[in-house]
Amino acid sequence: MIKKYRMIYDENLCIGCQSCSIACRVENNVSDSFFRLQVRMETRGIFPSLSMQFSRHACVMCENAPCVSVCPTHASFQTKDGLTHIDERLCISCKYCIVACPYEARFINPHTKAVEKCTFCFENRVSKEILPACVSICPTEALSFGDLNDKNSTVSQKSHKNYFTFPKEHLRTFPKVTLIPHKKGIKS
Amino acid sequence: MMNVWGNMAQYEAIAWSWEIAVYLFLAGLSSGSTIIGLLVKWNRHERNTYSIWDAMIKSGAITAPVSIFLGLMLLIFDLGKPFSFYWLFLSYNFNSVMTLGVLFLLIYTPTVIVFMVLVFEQTFVKYRAYILIEWLIDYIKSFHHYSKIIEYFLFATALCIGAYTGFLLCAIYAIPMWNSPILPILFLTSGVSSGIAVNILIGLLFFKSTMSEESVKYLLVLDLRVILTEIPLIGILFIGMGYEGGDSLVALKDALSTGLWAFIFWFGVIGVGLLLPLLTVIIALKSHVYRVGYIWMNSIVVILGVIMLRYYIVYAGQIYTGQ
Ligand code: SF4
Ligand code: SF4
Repeated sequence: MIKKYRMIYDENLCIGCQSCSIACRVENNVSDSFFRLQVRMETRGIFPSLSMQFSRHACVMCENAPCVSVCPTHASFQTKDGLTHIDERLCISCKYCIVACPYEARFINPHTKAVEKCTFCFENRVSKEILPACVSICPTEALSFGDLNDKNSTVSQKSHKNYFTFPKEHLRTFPKVTLIPHKKGIKS
Repeated sequence: MMNVWGNMAQYEAIAWSWEIAVYLFLAGLSSGSTIIGLLVKWNRHERNTYSIWDAMIKSGAITAPVSIFLGLMLLIFDLGKPFSFYWLFLSYNFNSVMTLGVLFLLIYTPTVIVFMVLVFEQTFVKYRAYILIEWLIDYIKSFHHYSKIIEYFLFATALCIGAYTGFLLCAIYAIPMWNSPILPILFLTSGVSSGIAVNILIGLLFFKSTMSEESVKYLLVLDLRVILTEIPLIGILFIGMGYEGGDSLVALKDALSTGLWAFIFWFGVIGVGLLLPLLTVIIALKSHVYRVGYIWMNSIVVILGVIMLRYYIVYAGQIYTGQ
């Protein structure tokens, strides 16, 4: 059966510990000073009413993916499960997809010279029914991952209970990564 | 910059840099000089008594293949994997403007080369190596009853090349300055403008004997009109970004007011590239004398302006995305 993958990032639970970012590097052998995933933080407000805002930056696996439609050689392609991947052999490294991605998710691998990005750890984990490295390591369970077609999965459960936003929703890319936005706000 | 979450260099890098800007210029120039060569041929030729080919047609026939060739070389060597470029010909994605561009280039490049060979046949005949291509030329000449159709075809492909460079950027909705339907028209017009300037320069340098004052004047008047079209087009591009609101509006404000790129826009693109040529063309046409000095100066500033417009759109577009 076709999967409907979903990753949920709860900004309220994130503590900015960077475990996911490091797990990603190790799992996927990401080259030094390049990132498939970053969790950035920003302090908002005026002392003493401060609050921390965390944001996750990685490929959001667009359903309507601009990287796929611009790629001249089909090196960037979409599987029937709706995940976008890169065929390194076909990639001529024209960087068209890098400028086309609204989420700054892509970069050139300095060794292979092909484009690289988050894969949801598809080949190495998800296809073997193991959670992506970032999700499985998160100590606060700010990340959850699963199949929306499976009514008992954590993501299905969470989807019923929470208010979501999609990153850059107005672009109509229909990401598979959704956010539970920061609720606390700043006390003034 | 180093943060808790790591190095930001990858996010700040400019993916498409000067090679792309120069390629966009060269492709536009190639298309523009073909268009201008053909316009002169169609509109001015009967009145020209010096030679069968007016200098403007000759310059167009040289500029078009040379600039598209240089542009293609740049484009290939800008690839992170230059030697894998053959995949472009093996695996097509018709949704991608880049694939469409490859197809247009596959048609356009050989056609302009044929055009060049025909225009310079007399020159080529003098060389020994001509024997090697003689059969080809004779073969091509056997189609001469269709010459008008071939010219129209060349004109149409030149229009496609000029416009596609704009669509290439226009398809990218992540970048507010590029995601505008005005861009293809703007690139086409400014390509024509650079075609006029380069054709005149090459004509002055190499084909002075067949240069007719009439066609130069015709081109200067045309250039005046092209520049007068370009100014509102740039205006519309930015007005569109403004009305779009959100990120676009922020990008617009940043791109027109901050740093080096705002300077390049106001001083280079607008001042040097559009207002200065406007002034010189008006003076040159008003004084009714064929002053080579003005024409030189006019052509050079136009070319500089067109190059700077490409640089500005490529860089400022990527830097100022309103986020
Ligand atoms: S986030 Fe970027 S890389 Fe990922 S699918 Fe969307 S456009 Fe492609
Ligand atoms: S860089 Fe590679 S994956 Fe990206 S558009 Fe070009 S060929 Fe496709």
